[in-house]
Amino acid sequence: MSDAERPTDGGVSGDDDFEPIQVFPEAEEMDLRPGADDCYKCSTCDTNCPVAEVDDEFPGPKFQGPEQWRLKRQEDQDVDDSVMKCSNCMRCDSACPSDVPLSQMHNTARGEYVEEQMDKFSREYVRNRILANYRRLAPLGSMFPRTTNFVMGLSATQWLGEKVLGITSERELPEFATETFREWWTKRGGAQVTNPDKRIAYFHGCYANYNTPEVAKALVRVYEHLGYEIMVPDQHCSGTPMFANGMLEDARRSAETNVRELAAALEDGADIVASCSSCSMSLRQEYPELFDFDGTDDVAENTWDAVEYLRVHEDLEAELEGTSVGDEFDDFAYHAPCHARNQGLDGQTLEVLAPIDGVEAHDVGDSCSGISGTYGWKAENYETSMKIGEEMVDHMEDADAETGLTECPTCSMQMEHGTGYEITHTLEVLEAALVGTAESTATGANAQ
Amino acid sequence: MARDTAVLVLGGGSTGCGIARDLAMRGLDVTLVERGNLTDGTTGRMHGLLHSGGRYAVSDQASATECIEENEILREIAGHCVEETGGLFVQRPEDSDDYFREKLEGCRECGIPARVLSGSEAREVEPYLADDVKRAIEVPDGAVDPFRLCVANAIDAETHGARVETHAEVIDLLRDGDDIYGVEVRHDSGPGKRTHATPGTTEEITADYVVNATGAWAGQIGAMADLEIEVRPSKGVMTIMNVRQVDTVINRCRPKGDADIVVPHETTAILGTTDEEVSDPDDYPEAGWEVDQMIDTLSELVPILSEARTIRSFWGVRPLYEPPGTGTQDPTDITRDFFLLDHADRDGVSGMSSIVGGKFTTYRAMAEEISDHVCEQLGVNASCATAEEPLPGSENIERLEAGMDDFGLRSPVARRSKQRLGSRACDVLETDEPNPVICQCEGVTRAEIQDAVSQSGSDLNAVRIRTRASMGNCQGGFCCGNMASELHPTHDEETVREALDELFQERWKGERHALWGEQLSQAMLNYALHAATMNRDRDPASAGEDVDFAAFDGGRPEGDRVDGPRGAR
Repeated sequence: MSDAERPTDGGVSGDDDFEPIQVFPEAEEMDLRPGADDCYKCSTCDTNCPVAEVDDEFPGPKFQGPEQWRLKRQEDQDVDDSVMKCSNCMRCDSACPSDVPLSQMHNTARGEYVEEQMDKFSREYVRNRILANYRRLAPLGSMFPRTTNFVMGLSATQWLGEKVLGITSERELPEFATETFREWWTKRGGAQVTNPDKRIAYFHGCYANYNTPEVAKALVRVYEHLGYEIMVPDQHCSGTPMFANGMLEDARRSAETNVRELAAALEDGADIVASCSSCSMSLRQEYPELFDFDGTDDVAENTWDAVEYLRVHEDLEAELEGTSVGDEFDDFAYHAPCHARNQGLDGQTLEVLAPIDGVEAHDVGDSCSGISGTYGWKAENYETSMKIGEEMVDHMEDADAETGLTECPTCSMQMEHGTGYEITHTLEVLEAALVGTAESTATGANAQ
Repeated sequence: MARDTAVLVLGGGSTGCGIARDLAMRGLDVTLVERGNLTDGTTGRMHGLLHSGGRYAVSDQASATECIEENEILREIAGHCVEETGGLFVQRPEDSDDYFREKLEGCRECGIPARVLSGSEAREVEPYLADDVKRAIEVPDGAVDPFRLCVANAIDAETHGARVETHAEVIDLLRDGDDIYGVEVRHDSGPGKRTHATPGTTEEITADYVVNATGAWAGQIGAMADLEIEVRPSKGVMTIMNVRQVDTVINRCRPKGDADIVVPHETTAILGTTDEEVSDPDDYPEAGWEVDQMIDTLSELVPILSEARTIRSFWGVRPLYEPPGTGTQDPTDITRDFFLLDHADRDGVSGMSSIVGGKFTTYRAMAEEISDHVCEQLGVNASCATAEEPLPGSENIERLEAGMDDFGLRSPVARRSKQRLGSRACDVLETDEPNPVICQCEGVTRAEIQDAVSQSGSDLNAVRIRTRASMGNCQGGFCCGNMASELHPTHDEETVREALDELFQERWKGERHALWGEQLSQAMLNYALHAATMNRDRDPASAGEDVDFAAFDGGRPEGDRVDGPRGAR
């Protein structure tokens, strides 16, 4: 604040009648220097950083986080541009033995970098804005899904995407579903189970709505099978791609809607579940670290991963004992997404699938897939992304399985891109075991 | 009789270095001797406040006026040592309104720009201030790096022909009847730059005039020539926080008391202080409760301090003096003014003056007055230029700050390096050699370390005060070894080891007073790194004996190895 902006007070007045309304600080203005107090520089974060492992130019989370913050003075604006190389996998958070708020530091610094230093007319900014705001474009795509899929699949389009926007042409853009989850949900008349005692609000996120509604439908069928009333509140993007691109203002707007809607659902007696591990991560950790809306903490404390919720609130093991799945699934090569790992959920899928007959999941280890949301879509990160993912791909190919399994949409893109396998979500397997396959249920519904 | 030098200055603190620069710029032949490295005494043990004068605006308006004048001069001539943080005198609900008014009026009477902020305006400037602070007076306090400022004075003195000898302890004053004509010093490793593991020598240095600028140690020097100088050393504790909780100097607005100031200093914040008379400036108790009490009291102003990490604490000794017969009981009431004692007038012993009392912010004005006196004694007619001539590093500082060159460094490292080096940044940082960061906590690169080594020989503490390397949150745990490696191959292994041990010991000295919470974890990690990884707790090379390699057996035959033959895995 410059002197000119400060109201001057020449005399000595003892009273404080001029009290400006206290607004909480914008996320990119937060002072996280005190967080550096927790760092004793052991470098465990650096040894767990998948980007630092393959990119010698990347200084690693210890520098990005506590060291850079500690060197900061109030008036300093410049954040080192290497923060844009961080993929926001958040592994450093779980690696740190001393609770340094590393990803919060990265998110805030990245937001500040984009806000203060990035040219708003640069190709990089425009591209990142588009990638971060996938949800705003997706409705257009899914209005004419077949046309969009056709056009996006054209090599000319991909060439243009790379040349004009810096979106790698190595990857195939995800296809839009012909019917979004929300369209399906409305068409079927919403919830088919009412139960004031067992109620969940489903945060489906963008990808399960526009691209893989089969995952969202699987969640609905599993939860309804177990007697839950499902609410599907209005929702925006969880913010994950916006944090990763430093678009904190966009994230703030989305988060404001999400917190308002989800807090209202909590009022209605629901708990919140998400099928995407990055969405649940965002609601649980990043919201309270970056925002301060009414109800942010409540929403964070009552948000669950969809499978985790069932393991805690149901006897899922007993439900699954003796179930079997048929030929629709082969054995799986399972990759635990970093954002699931950070929530302590990395062993969950293997344990849940164990009692189901007819299918086996092989853990492909604790490496990062390397795509980290929008990160691996950027032409300049493509190579790094593939190098990080190499270990996962090798292990998938070594595993005794021909299909892949994971809970994260972008990890599944990378798994598919690296191996050519078809990738399934854990909820789809649970659906098959508990309810029967999507097709047979759909057929049954049609027969009625 | 021909003397070695015209003026011999004793003491390499701010006063001594200021005098040496002033006289050298006036064309006099000057030699300065210092017992340790520069700033080793009180200068290196201050809280880094560049006074606006606000602290003295009620109790001592003469000092206050002098402070604001010197404050403005230092911003001009020593821009790379000064951070213009601004300062606040913060009033809590229980603090007196009358005193607040006196403070504000006092500032205005002394020409100190002062403005009242409401509680919420003050919190907007410093968000970590307590919720219930009532209001504040904003003044142009600043932060100053005493190390950099003192070294810059010494470098400039040398540039003007002075000889500066560190690690040269005065062991005797040379007195012939009623005339003092020099000193005998003991060089730690011979004259010139210090080299560890080199035997010392003694030297007699004669001079036309001797200036005793040893501050709290002035009495000990005087005693060597049977002169009585009644310095009343008073200790004060300071605690260094790991990060800056505030970016503005925070003073408590109440009559002088303990624990009433927080100064943002480089990457840290320094809490100060206490005031207690001691008999020996080299030997006084350092008690844990002094630190605890200070953190508790200052937490009333900045509550986050109670939870925050401290990285070290240190005690400084003020060189207080009062003329014989004043008889002030409480050291806080002893004047902060300085006194020039001409021993010819006072004791009938010619050839030497002592300078006692005073404070860091006004070091330049003190040096000017003493230099005038010395010139008068020596019959030299030359005027002072230290108020106009910028110190090395502060020439054309605005141009440097406007420059965008990052020297290939990451931006926060480049920013901090340029702030430390000032206008010397290009000379030091422009290099074709690889320039890795040696000290990650403070962002110090090899080029800057090498520049400091070129000034100070194998003395790594001298490198430390020039660069801040090893002054961050690991307190040298990670970088001491790498700093020492920079001495090789110019210096041999034994020298490097001794230099490393000395630096690491010095770091430990202050860390002892911060061993709880995260800093305790840090100390344990440092211990593991140095004792285990680097094998420094029982390194055979440190034992001074030759290792009997023949005593080692050849290991098990390959076939017996539990992990199979080599290369089998």
